[in-house]
Amino acid sequence: MKKVVYWSSEEVSSWLTEEGMPEYSDSFQHLNGEDLLRLTEADFKKPPLSLVSSDNGQQLLGKIETLNIEHHIEAHKNGHANGHLIKGNNGDISSKAKRSGMPNGFRNEMVQIHMPMPEKSHFPMEWGKTALAFIYALFCFVLTTVMISVVHERVPPKEETPPLPDKFFEIFDRVEWAFSICEINGMILVALWLIQWTLLKYKSIVGRRFFFIVGTLYLYRCITMYITTLPVPGMHFQCSPKLLGDWEAQMRRVIKMIAGGGLSITGSHTMCGDYLYSGHTVILTLTYLFIKEYSPRRFWWYHWICWFLSVVGIFCILLAHDHYTVDVVVAYYITTRLFWWYHTMANQQILKEATNTNFFSRVWWYRAFQYLEQNVSGTVPRNYQLPFPWRATPFSRNVKYTRLDT
Amino acid sequence: MASPQLLREVDSVDTQLDVHMEQHAGDLSNAFNRSSPSGNDEGSQSQPKQSTLPNGLRKSSRKHQDYIKISVPEPKKRLPLEWWKTVIAFVYALFNLVLTTVMITVVHERVPSKEISPPLPDKFFDYVGRVEWAFSISEINGMILVGLWCCQWLFLRYKSIAARRFFFIMGTLYLYRCMTIYVTTLPVPSMHIKCAPKLHGDSQAKLQRILRLISGGGLSITGSHILCGDFLYSGHTVMLTLTYLFIKEYSPSRFWWYHLLCWLLSAVGVVCILVGHEHYTVDVVIAYYITTRLFWWYHTMANIQTLRSSPQNYLSRSWWNPVFRFFEKNVQTKVPCSFSWPINWPPSCFKSSCKNYSMVQSGRRQ
Repeated sequence: MKKVVYWSSEEVSSWLTEEGMPEYSDSFQHLNGEDLLRLTEADFKKPPLSLVSSDNGQQLLGKIETLNIEHHIEAHKNGHANGHLIKGNNGDISSKAKRSGMPNGFRNEMVQIHMPMPEKSHFPMEWGKTALAFIYALFCFVLTTVMISVVHERVPPKEETPPLPDKFFEIFDRVEWAFSICEINGMILVALWLIQWTLLKYKSIVGRRFFFIVGTLYLYRCITMYITTLPVPGMHFQCSPKLLGDWEAQMRRVIKMIAGGGLSITGSHTMCGDYLYSGHTVILTLTYLFIKEYSPRRFWWYHWICWFLSVVGIFCILLAHDHYTVDVVVAYYITTRLFWWYHTMANQQILKEATNTNFFSRVWWYRAFQYLEQNVSGTVPRNYQLPFPWRATPFSRNVKYTRLDT
Repeated sequence: MASPQLLREVDSVDTQLDVHMEQHAGDLSNAFNRSSPSGNDEGSQSQPKQSTLPNGLRKSSRKHQDYIKISVPEPKKRLPLEWWKTVIAFVYALFNLVLTTVMITVVHERVPSKEISPPLPDKFFDYVGRVEWAFSISEINGMILVGLWCCQWLFLRYKSIAARRFFFIMGTLYLYRCMTIYVTTLPVPSMHIKCAPKLHGDSQAKLQRILRLISGGGLSITGSHILCGDFLYSGHTVMLTLTYLFIKEYSPSRFWWYHLLCWLLSAVGVVCILVGHEHYTVDVVIAYYITTRLFWWYHTMANIQTLRSSPQNYLSRSWWNPVFRFFEKNVQTKVPCSFSWPINWPPSCFKSSCKNYSMVQSGRRQ
């Protein structure tokens, strides 16, 4: 930059605009650098400058002083005033400290401030872990089916061991079509949950949790079914005949059951003995809990509908005399506790470390939980997005959904 | 340590400084209102006394004439005893125990007889035949564990808090047990079990049975375990597991041999229930699960303060959460594992022999 004394009037004018004092540019039209330097306070007291300036030219004089100092220092190459290493605009560091000649605070070139790289996402997708959880759930389902098949062989016949006394059965008589209602409700809830899941943004994390919880519940169910066999709850039960030792037929039965999902509507619920505890209750309760947890709070009517479906479904299980009351009660208890336990652990960072005060870390599945949830920090937000890009369709002009991100 | 000579020098300097300042009465340097317990050079206290000393140079460093009273807020008790809450918890547990006893009596009437409903197939019973004296072992172990826990509890410093938790958890477990035995009645697990005859509608006799059951604690050793039908889930397992959990939690971690011993007692007791064919396997498994989960849940919530107020705490959705908050409202931290003598003995008796117990504090310091 040239010294101020050599400035032309255009340069003065542009400097004034730069410094944010355009009001002077009119009056200073004929002023060049020299004149600028010669301005004093007295000049501001006389018109025309007194009319333009609001502070008697203090600010302008101050800036002129500054200009003076800058140039003075630069001229004398005062390296002591500023020993910092400056990065030039093109980003390279000059070999020796470029002396800008200005003391601290007076910079006239760009300084690059390093921005830290954006942090890793708080909610990484990690589909691999979801796949593992899915395999675990699948394994537990198959194990349950095999277990049912095994237990079926040991169920005492109705004639030998009549149904156990049950308080609910004494109060309510059997209604035949009630179990179909229960299963239809179950299917509706599962379908609703599936649709909701496809609309979630953090599908993988939520899917992982669902598979893990459902797998563990069915694993517990395997254990309770296996160790003690309850007799059939009602005389109306038609249990398929026992295949003593016929492995092939048993295998076929297992596959048939898996294909039908264990529902009597699909005709795969022909085996007996899987009473404690009730798998239907588990699914009804769990889908309701997940639906409620991962949908916006404003949809209270949606939550109410699902709650209603769930309760009616459970009631109908008992009404149809298809399970003992204790089966349903135990299933409800275990499902809700496991769900709450898991989600509390997942949402609190302190509970993800095994310390002395954290008794939650004593459950047997704690290591698996840590593995699945270690990179998820904080509560998974309820964000939604469409599973496929929406732009191609003619509905793209419909911008009602403010919570959707592409 | 300063040598006396230095102190004298400092003293003299101080005196000069004092005199100088007082003479010039620099009231600007110190305009604070100071209260002094003893009268100073000036006698009048009506106007703010100008001490004439700037901040930091206080006369009291030498002469201790002016005491400044700094009011320290009373340290809030982090772990108040609140015995009345413990009494409430005790009443709750008692109520549930009585309710369970009544329920057992009611359910007894509904148990199908062994001939009509034979024992259900059980995997454990298939592999392990019945051993007659096994159940007595289980009950003896239970009694030992309860005795140990009582002794340990007497020596705890924060007895009321530990007792409150024990009563609450036990009460809730027995409440759950009431519900499960009532809704569905399982048949007797084994042909050897002798059930008392049914009293159809004879309330007087039923009441007598209830009293007999309560007084005997439900143990077959005392002859009060004559009623059938209370199989799902097993109360014996609950007591064995719960006393072990409490013993382990409220004792120092160095006593690993003690913990191991109690664990053995507990495990052997539980296995002996099954070996004695007194309960189905599913009864024992469910009892263990519910007991451990409830204990861990309660204690984690009680120990981690941030959990209680966090909105992401789903555990606060349990039905007993308000009761929990009532009990644990003033317990701010984890209850430390410290012990004290149960009664305040005159310390002179124990001055010499107390040396080995570093963790025992005299009762007076409470």
